Amino acid sequence: MRSKMRLTGLLVLVAMMLLAGVYLLLGGGEKPVTLRGYVGGEKIDLLDDSAVQDILERKYRLTLDYVKAGSLDMVTADHAGRDFLFPSSQNALEYYQQVCGSPQRSEIIFNTPLVLYTRRPILEAFQARGLVQEQDGCYCIDMAGLVAEIEAGVTWADLGLPELYGTVAVNTTDPRRSNSGNLFAGLIANVLCGGVADQSNIESVLPRLRAIFDRLGYMESSSADLFDQFLKMGMGAKPIIAGYENQLLEFAIQNPDDWAKLGGDIVMLYPTPTVWSSHIYIALDEEGVRGIDALLDEEVQRLAWEKHGFRTGVAGTDSAASFGVEHVASSITRVAPIPNYETMERIIAYLG
Amino acid sequence: MKRQTLLALLAALLLALLAGCASANSEPAKDYPMNYGGRVTLRILSGSENRELEAILDDFAREKKINIEMEYRGSLDIMRGLQNGAPGYDAVWPASSLWLTAGDTGYKVKHAASVSVTPVVFGIRQSLAEELGFVGREVSVADLLDVIRSGRLRFCMTSATQSNSGCSAYIGFLYALLGGPEVITSEELADPALGEEITALLAGVDRSSGSSDWLKDLFLTGGYDAMVNYECLIISANQTLEERGEETLYAVYPYDGLSLADSPLGYLDNGDGAKEEAFLTLQDYLLSDEVQQRIQRTGRRTGYEGVAEENTDVFRAEWGIQPDRVLSPIRMPAADVLFECLDLYQTQFRKPSLTVYCLDYSGSMYGGGRQQLVAAMAQILIQENAAANLLQASAEDVNILIPFDSEARGVYTAAGNGAELEGLYAQVDAESTDGGTDLYAAAREALKVLQGYDLDRYTPAIILMTDGMSDGSYRSFRRDYEALGRDIPVFSIMFGDADPEQLEDLAELTHARVFDGRENLVEAFRSVKGYN
Repeated sequence: MRSKMRLTGLLVLVAMMLLAGVYLLLGGGEKPVTLRGYVGGEKIDLLDDSAVQDILERKYRLTLDYVKAGSLDMVTADHAGRDFLFPSSQNALEYYQQVCGSPQRSEIIFNTPLVLYTRRPILEAFQARGLVQEQDGCYCIDMAGLVAEIEAGVTWADLGLPELYGTVAVNTTDPRRSNSGNLFAGLIANVLCGGVADQSNIESVLPRLRAIFDRLGYMESSSADLFDQFLKMGMGAKPIIAGYENQLLEFAIQNPDDWAKLGGDIVMLYPTPTVWSSHIYIALDEEGVRGIDALLDEEVQRLAWEKHGFRTGVAGTDSAASFGVEHVASSITRVAPIPNYETMERIIAYLG
Repeated sequence: MKRQTLLALLAALLLALLAGCASANSEPAKDYPMNYGGRVTLRILSGSENRELEAILDDFAREKKINIEMEYRGSLDIMRGLQNGAPGYDAVWPASSLWLTAGDTGYKVKHAASVSVTPVVFGIRQSLAEELGFVGREVSVADLLDVIRSGRLRFCMTSATQSNSGCSAYIGFLYALLGGPEVITSEELADPALGEEITALLAGVDRSSGSSDWLKDLFLTGGYDAMVNYECLIISANQTLEERGEETLYAVYPYDGLSLADSPLGYLDNGDGAKEEAFLTLQDYLLSDEVQQRIQRTGRRTGYEGVAEENTDVFRAEWGIQPDRVLSPIRMPAADVLFECLDLYQTQFRKPSLTVYCLDYSGSMYGGGRQQLVAAMAQILIQENAAANLLQASAEDVNILIPFDSEARGVYTAAGNGAELEGLYAQVDAESTDGGTDLYAAAREALKVLQGYDLDRYTPAIILMTDGMSDGSYRSFRRDYEALGRDIPVFSIMFGDADPEQLEDLAELTHARVFDGRENLVEAFRSVKGYN
């Protein structure tokens, strides 16, 4: 009798264990969900990272399916069937609020400063001209000085680089469509205003700002594409581009062989002051909210820095050496706010 | 096993079953099937210059068991396709990312990355390049313009409104004529003096084409002095010329009018995971060190370190190829100005077209055939439709209609781009179907009509559409053609039961090509129009 009870108990236990196992296997109660959204191109490698995908799937039962879109473009894109937007600036959120009202929820996931990328011969020409100084182990570029050269129509030949055709210019993405270009426009507006541009001082500098962008002609709409072209098309095609700090850190850590070949030639310049690109997650619906906790997961945040170069709250940035990239700023101290949304809107309208 | 994995497996199984059903009554094979029984097929909308990578793609298809179907179009056509979502395709591969960015208005493109880079250059017969003093020195666009204006250099280029290489060259010309501004503006384009100069310049174009690779093929048929094309296609042409023991081309890089084609391959996201995985497999393959090296052997610049030492036998200095050159391109104008440039090219600046349409109205065209023909001509003759594909007529164009059956029924001429053109369309629509087929009679009539024009002023072409085996005599056409002694292409569009061999003979004789309209006649007419 007792053994029969014991057997029954054992069977019940086994059944419970099996049930629990199945329960756990099938997702600990939370349904696996695929969230669909628009993502700025510079975060794609992070979202494609299988380690990140594993954490999202294992701990949060989430798969993020994305389509690449410019940070501002995505606000006005078709949101049917999308759960989130993941642009690269705070202003995209304000834009969203204006166009679509207040979102389900939003949160800054990580940050990266706007930088300029160029090649060694150009760095040397800039140093000779006093535009770039080495400070605290990184190269800082005097933006007011650079803007002055651009406005004066100085040619590459004037800088001692006759193999480059045309005038000095910084290639950016289209400020009307993509965030890095938009931030760069904000940065230039700050330079032209001699402080943070706002509604009181922006009007008088708009014609100059527009002249700087007009002469760029055709602009890419994605910072990832621009960076890819910068690396692959050589110094002649894109002598200087505006991009994000994380783009190079990520490239170097993910393509060590390529970086070994390129490392001697590619240079990162920090504008003084620079501006932050804040990667902000905007949940469009209730399911979309689940993406926020998942991306703020400590492990994800650590991977975001160590493998993708995004500066986060949790990860120490003292480990910059591990990227194998020289002249990375240990901390970003000289940062100016980007002009507020109304001012940026005015800038974009004027550039349009 | 995780539930998702299981579901994915089930889905894959279902897909495989469905794919099995589909292949049982599959469509007619595409032009270039690379099919080794893979379960996934990637359909790629690609610039024609990638035809030269077919051996590499074929190896991929065999090794990875992923089928590839390439459909070749001009880059601008790819852009327009992309604007409409490019239904039915899994990937796009235009010559330059410019067209990808301009076309991807629906944000369907994912994973885009440059496969290789090649500049657009002038390839000029070696002895002529020497005679013009272009060997071993820096050449500006103005230098090229001088010799073009004085008639010392005539060249072939693709249509600027259809193909990236032609567009790049044209924009380079505009920059030079405007005195090298930082960027082209709308105001500058409106200057009548510019219009006159660029028109005079484009009058030096010997032959046009809708695609870069075909331009190279055309060049190799012989009799031309120079072409504007990709560096990689100049190299490829030279390899063929050298094999034949003929004079090779010398590459000239205009330092103030250079453009680069960065050949981006991007995935079109239709939410099909298996396709996406197959695409990434293809992309990884193409970007692997080994394959990048192989691509470099085709004359394309790959990787981060420039042209490898062992490939200098491909990038040959004696052909004027400069593998170590810092390629510093002009700035492309902003999209709105760029499209203004293209519109002006199509409607004003290009050399006027003189096009004779010989259209088959034989009895077998009755019903659906005739309807498709009329619909296709509506895409070309009705200017609103034509504008959507940048195929509008200019005020100087002449369009001639010769409807035929067993003989030419008549000749109808429309000058310019106004009411006469609509009248021509009315005639296309009014013809009824009856009688036999003699395309040679129609083509001979076309030659007779063309004799009445100053052919130097025009880009002349005969566009022949037929749906059946032709009676009549090729030899009599050939006699007339050779007697005329002019380089007039007879492009033909194959429809219904047309005999490809008869049409190929005409194409070979006249340095033209045959378009297949059996699947999509409207598309075939649009393509052929892009060649002239």
